Amino acid sequence: MLASAIFVVSLVSHIEVLIVLITFTIALTFAAKIVKRFGKSMTFFAPLALIAFLLNYYVFPVGLLTATNLALRLFAVIASSSLFFLTTTPDELEQVMRWFHLPPDLVMIFVIAVRFVPVLFLDALQIMDAQKSRGLEFEKGNLMKRLRNTIPLLVPLIAVAVNRSLELAEAMDSRAYGATKRPTSLYVLKYNFSDYFTTIAGIVMSSFGIYFALFGRLW
Amino acid sequence: MNLEQIAESAPLSENVDSVVRFTNVDYSHPNGVPALRGISVEFKKGELVGILGANGAGKSTLVRHINGILKPTHGSVEVFGESTKNTSAAKLSRRVGIVFQNPNNQLFAQSVKSEIEFGLRNFGFDDELVRQRTDWALNTFSLIEYSNRAPMELSGGEKKRLCNALVLAWDPDIVILDEPTVGQDSEQKERLAQLVKLLLSEQKTIILVSHDMEFLWPLQPRMILMSGGKILADGTAQQVVRDRVSFSHANILAPQLVELFTELGDLGRFPADEFEARDKIRLQMTAAKEK
Repeated sequence: MLASAIFVVSLVSHIEVLIVLITFTIALTFAAKIVKRFGKSMTFFAPLALIAFLLNYYVFPVGLLTATNLALRLFAVIASSSLFFLTTTPDELEQVMRWFHLPPDLVMIFVIAVRFVPVLFLDALQIMDAQKSRGLEFEKGNLMKRLRNTIPLLVPLIAVAVNRSLELAEAMDSRAYGATKRPTSLYVLKYNFSDYFTTIAGIVMSSFGIYFALFGRLW
Repeated sequence: MNLEQIAESAPLSENVDSVVRFTNVDYSHPNGVPALRGISVEFKKGELVGILGANGAGKSTLVRHINGILKPTHGSVEVFGESTKNTSAAKLSRRVGIVFQNPNNQLFAQSVKSEIEFGLRNFGFDDELVRQRTDWALNTFSLIEYSNRAPMELSGGEKKRLCNALVLAWDPDIVILDEPTVGQDSEQKERLAQLVKLLLSEQKTIILVSHDMEFLWPLQPRMILMSGGKILADGTAQQVVRDRVSFSHANILAPQLVELFTELGDLGRFPADEFEARDKIRLQMTAAKEK
């Protein structure tokens, strides 16, 4: 769904199509029973689309229609990405990537990256606490000062992340990572009804996208 | 006795020279998980306090209220008579120094010296004072030979020492050490105990957050036992180690000397260290011989 959304968005500039796409995405969140969390994530990210609209409309003279169009495109991508990440666990993603026969190392890098985002976030909070306790006020001063204030946050964060990756590598090595060239998975993903449904819906959407891009109208 | 009853029967300290006062403090994490429930406690000037409890008991959450990093969900925290609600953590930290557990979470500067200067400059010390206090800290913590080295290159023990140095450099009135003994060898622990004694002689309030009972016991601090976000017991070290019910609730092992002297039968005060224990045993032996 994410793929087809990005595909459609990159091809089509018709507001009607975008609205259909967004409506369909939102309908899927109802089907997946994640409306609440979806709403939360959207209230966090959707202002980006608003900012895009305001920037395009007021700063660049592109006209109301184009500005709305661009904002809706961004919104569609954000909505479908949220849907994707709210319904897919890193484990499932790993299995799908394996299923596509991507190199195991590449899959592992991706899975680890996704899994460590919340850990890094917690680290950042702890580092902020520590630096506040040393009298640093992140919210104070002009833009330059604020930028400089991020150094005491970023340097330990990067150092901690690098250290952790080294330790993780050692821990993985000591648990015989890479001993089998093509590891098999204990769990095997199976296609069920909802998977077929979204796949077909995605293909239909994408076909419409190609059609619109080629002919510019439906009939 | 259940947890509630134990928590209620914990004695409240008297109001003398109180520097920190918690009144009915509740705190819940942003995700709604309660971390502190109905905490009322006071810390006095020149007092040594050990806060003990298993992981997740709320010890660290409690001390983070003292310099205003966390604000209570209900109730109030007063530090030097002022509520922390309207004061920033950066301001409160001038008088409340917290040394955090993990040194890697705070070191960022290019040299040990500038790492120490960072806090001093944030608090607006003038250049001369910054120089003086930095020199003092480098000397006191035997870091002078590393003053131009990058903090990241130091060993674990040295980093920890630097973290102590950079907080004590601005001479806070309340010093909080969060898990100071984790990952430290016996020599570092000994140094730390010396540091605590030095700070006590300067009439500072020292709060040690730890579950390292063997480290705390020889210092004979006032002990506060925590579990599930509540205070189970609060009293002198001698009083608290006798409270076996609270001890088992808090998942803390009694110090070995206490265990030994409990097995030997009631000989009054538990010895704080091996020398006191030796004297006590010798005394018993002579008494037995005379009989």
